[in-house]
Amino acid sequence: MRTVWVTVLSVWALFAVVAVLAWTRQQTVPASAPQVVVVKAKNGTSHLVVQNTAPQATTRTSPVGAG
Amino acid sequence: MSILATGVPVAWLVARAAGLVAFGLLTIAVTLGLLLSTRVLGPKRGKALLEWHRTILWASLCMVALHGVALLFDPTLHFGFLAVLVPGTAPWRPVSVAAGVVTAWLMLMLATSFKARRRIGQRRWRQLHYASFAAFSLALWHGLTTGSDLVGTRGLIFAAVALLPVLWLTFLRILTPRPAPKQRRQPPPPAAPSRDEPSRPTAVAV
Repeated sequence: MRTVWVTVLSVWALFAVVAVLAWTRQQTVPASAPQVVVVKAKNGTSHLVVQNTAPQATTRTSPVGAG
Repeated sequence: MSILATGVPVAWLVARAAGLVAFGLLTIAVTLGLLLSTRVLGPKRGKALLEWHRTILWASLCMVALHGVALLFDPTLHFGFLAVLVPGTAPWRPVSVAAGVVTAWLMLMLATSFKARRRIGQRRWRQLHYASFAAFSLALWHGLTTGSDLVGTRGLIFAAVALLPVLWLTFLRILTPRPAPKQRRQPPPPAAPSRDEPSRPTAVAV
């Protein structure tokens, strides 16, 4: 019975820690974090390009000044 | 190994979580062992404490095994069987990873030593058990220096919570004199026959 208790509690502790680590990871990594993309040029060389995935600006334009 | 839809590194999360749970269980096992040897809770609970101590140590060892297996599946670290089993062969932070590998082997030795207690004798078993202090210290150092989870204040709090009961009970164990071992009861010496008592007739085989 002792072994069963220790096993059950250990597994639950493992799940709890996994959940906490996954949750804190989700908190620290923003959705709009820039991503690095490998781009191959025509001559065969590859370049690292930082791609900003931040939400795009709205299409709303600034009001036109009167006159 | 990762969940493709979300990009969650499952192996990495399981490895970290198993390592943390293993260290927590090792701390409890060491604390129980010290409670046993200091006899703070009284001599009557000795047997129950010993059983819990053994079971929790084995549970911790299982978590260490899961920690190693999960690291094998991690696509970032590229750990092989050799890196997980042999100290100093890890491609990443070899010294602090070696501390973790040595801890695992020490824990396995301590857990199996319970079975060999009668064979090797109580004195040697007790001397062997001093390795648990080394295992605990190396595990703490491995946790603080290898991963990124226990950096800064978090690491200090973690180390303090684990160290305080162990240090307190260790000092108690050193300062408290151990009671002398109980001597086995000797059978009473046969009483010398008195002169007044008539001698018993002895049977003589004819």
